Amino acid sequence: MKKLFFIAISLFLISSSLIAQEVEEKTEPKKEKEGHYNINKFRQLHQELPTPNKEHTASGAPGYEYTQQQVDYKMDIILDDENQKLFGEETITYHNNSKDVLEYLWVQLDQNMRAPNSKTPDIEGEGPGVLYTPGNFTKSFMGKPFPGGFNIQHVKDINGNAIGYMINQTMMRIDLPKPLASGEKFIFNIKWWYNINNYMVDRGRSGYESFPDGNKLYVIAQFFPRLAVYNNVEGWQNMQFWGRSEFALEFGNYQVSITTPKDHILNATGVIQNPKEVFTKEQYKRYSEAKNSFDNPVFIVTPQEALEAEKGKETKTKTWKFYAENVRDFGFASSRKFIWDAMAVDINGKTVMAYSLYPKEGNPLWEEHSTRVVANTLKVYSEHTFDYPYPHATSINAQRQGMEYPMICWNYGRPGPDGKYTERTKSGMIGVITHEVGHNFFPMIVNSDERQWTWMDEGINSFVEILAEYKYDSELFPMSKYPKNITGYMAGDQSRIAPIMSQGDNVFNFGSNAYAKPAAGLFILRQTIMGPELFDHAFKTYAKRWKFKHPTPADFFRTMEDASAMDLDWFWRGWFYTTGYNDIGIKEVKKYHVTDKPTQQAKDLATRYGITIDQLPPALYLVSEDSDEFTEDLKNKKAEDYSILNNYIEENFTPEEKADLKAPKYFYELKFEKPGDLVMPIIVEFEYEDGTKERKQYPAQIWRLNDDEVTKVFHSSKAITKITVDPDEQTADVDLTNNSWPKNTETKFEQFKKNQIKG
Amino acid sequence: MKLKKLYFFLLLSIPLFAFTMHKYYVSLCEIEYVEDQKSIQIILGLFIDDLEFTLNKDAKKNLYLASTEEVQNIDAYYKEYLNNHFKVVVNNKAQNFNFIGKEYDGDIVRFYLEITDIKELKSLQITNTSLFRDFENQQNIIKIKVNKFNKTFYLDKNNPKGLLNF
Ligand SMILES: [Zn+2]
Repeated sequence: MKKLFFIAISLFLISSSLIAQEVEEKTEPKKEKEGHYNINKFRQLHQELPTPNKEHTASGAPGYEYTQQQVDYKMDIILDDENQKLFGEETITYHNNSKDVLEYLWVQLDQNMRAPNSKTPDIEGEGPGVLYTPGNFTKSFMGKPFPGGFNIQHVKDINGNAIGYMINQTMMRIDLPKPLASGEKFIFNIKWWYNINNYMVDRGRSGYESFPDGNKLYVIAQFFPRLAVYNNVEGWQNMQFWGRSEFALEFGNYQVSITTPKDHILNATGVIQNPKEVFTKEQYKRYSEAKNSFDNPVFIVTPQEALEAEKGKETKTKTWKFYAENVRDFGFASSRKFIWDAMAVDINGKTVMAYSLYPKEGNPLWEEHSTRVVANTLKVYSEHTFDYPYPHATSINAQRQGMEYPMICWNYGRPGPDGKYTERTKSGMIGVITHEVGHNFFPMIVNSDERQWTWMDEGINSFVEILAEYKYDSELFPMSKYPKNITGYMAGDQSRIAPIMSQGDNVFNFGSNAYAKPAAGLFILRQTIMGPELFDHAFKTYAKRWKFKHPTPADFFRTMEDASAMDLDWFWRGWFYTTGYNDIGIKEVKKYHVTDKPTQQAKDLATRYGITIDQLPPALYLVSEDSDEFTEDLKNKKAEDYSILNNYIEENFTPEEKADLKAPKYFYELKFEKPGDLVMPIIVEFEYEDGTKERKQYPAQIWRLNDDEVTKVFHSSKAITKITVDPDEQTADVDLTNNSWPKNTETKFEQFKKNQIKG
Repeated sequence: MKLKKLYFFLLLSIPLFAFTMHKYYVSLCEIEYVEDQKSIQIILGLFIDDLEFTLNKDAKKNLYLASTEEVQNIDAYYKEYLNNHFKVVVNNKAQNFNFIGKEYDGDIVRFYLEITDIKELKSLQITNTSLFRDFENQQNIIKIKVNKFNKTFYLDKNNPKGLLNF
């Protein structure tokens, strides 16, 4: 008998809706349903994630058998400004650190994407253009295609013997004279040249911009045949470069000499080895002294010097010598027009140089902001990852560019010809510099495979960018934009949305898919689901584990869980593997009152267990205001008015304990609905009759047994006047019309119109 | 002369910030018929920088939208653009809308438009060609709400019209 009581009591504690359901099932037997696999949204990602191994472990860290190849380059480059050609010869040392024997090597020839026989234009299915400028028209219909692409002059071994090779579009196979065993290295030499594209006409991540006086500004990258990545994830990553999905590259040391016209100013990946030869005496002095200027940028090349230089046209040349250690790529920018300013940045006691090179057309914006933005970015990113390990970070002003390389990047943003600019031009410029400098961390150092997973560098970088921009100017870059900035995209046409976990060439709305949505997802994780403390530690763990290595998505997902003790598989599944969106609303609010008379539900319960009502234990019951059992007088009764509760308290509590007890007066049953496919925490704000507010956050796991709606009982000593779900728009809820109770009857339109008239 | 030409060229070329693009080419238009007010209420949201690009091109000058430098009579530019690119046919009859106002919200400008004196709604046809000329991938979403009935159209260049019969 005692046992039965116990069961009855514990059943009573279970929400009444469950009992109602069971009753329903009894009276109306359901049709047999088909069986199914586990479709619970909280099931683990065992089927999606690759099996862990000794290189990529189950914890998300590199394993004890982790290896990666190393590739060192020694290059001599000549920039022909007169004819816009680039000539190069490189000696490549390939270190096979893997356990495998290699029969051939794959080398990337990115410039071939703009060769006349490139297949990139062929895969674009587009109708006729809306309008053609005369330039576009002649280019599209009347002229020859731009003669771009690498002209490979030779591929030789260390003794000068020709090596066999085969070119398949943007990939070149080097046929090794004999297989390359584990631990061995192979040295070979490639000579090439190509026509540099005017990227303002032919697009591209590199090329030149031409100014009205004939001066050029070169931003040069993907300019040399570079080794593809070989590892035990993709084998050779030799997926073609179509023009969008970027690069997968090995780390190595670069020794590069670049010959330019004598009046050019140039910076590149790495450190100048011969500054005295390439700078004037004054410039060299400023270059050396800039290392002590921590507060404000100082000029290395002044605006006056740049103005003088752009008037001339030297035929003599000079050679810039660079050395860069442990980088995955190399880029440089060169022009007569460059002004150069510099500022020293203290990264945990180590001095890093922040540089900007820009033509006068970038001012007044650039001298004011660029170098300061570089410095801010290095500081904020270092706090969230690891100390920036390279000696400098350089921002180059290039019209309509936003592209990253180790230590150097190209960034757009210029005022109009009248020197005026809008806040959007300014925030666009600060944003792009933060973003591209930020890429030094992802993917230049945390070296993910961009060809396969755009989001791993763009999405993760766009997330840290939010924090860095906010630090630079919290008014220009308010965080309140996130994550609601992504709801328009997520609520869009499902036939035009791809999951984040898609290869970048195959997605619609590339910017939203690979940049904004992953960034918004990480923002939600940090601010709302994990909290900054747990998130920041786990995120930093990921960055530290994989710096100077090649991480995969699984390494990121696993590390975030491994370092935080939070199971986030549900979040990765919904946000990264599906195109679902979040929509949670409050469907119904019922008010309840306390009574000591058994309700119909209690009577039904007794019947089910074969006992009489008298045999139920002494208890209080909640009566819904809309039920037949409710009577007006209950509204005035408090729980402590009932003797069974009073007696119980008298018998079981000390006076001190009694003083601590709350006096709940109002009981609510809240029914939340979830029309959206994603699961998310429910954040609820209660506003009381006295104007005070209270928040409650229910974890996403509240949806684990019912994916459509859940109910909660909420009690308080004050009457609730308003309930809002997700009041600060923290969960990317795509439809806010179901987020409040009582329902907002005035539409957004009517509110606006009213305010307009008030005026 | 040369400078001017270059400037014009810059205005004409499609922005190509393909590698830093944080956005998508989408507009959202929410339309609600409120029977007791006999009113069709329209909120149309567009990205400011895209609209600015297009309006600058038409105006052949920089309008500096949503900034301290914004031209004085900007609403005239907006009204003209909307009249040319946003068309509403109610019960088979083309209807003009009242321009109630605009609001700037971050990257987005929202236009509030209203058609009054619609006693009964039998059919509603929306044509929205905003930004199609300059943005290849522009998609204009139209969400229509009439009493409890909801319908969404995804308009693009090839399909710029949505028609709803009740
Ligand atoms: Zn990027």
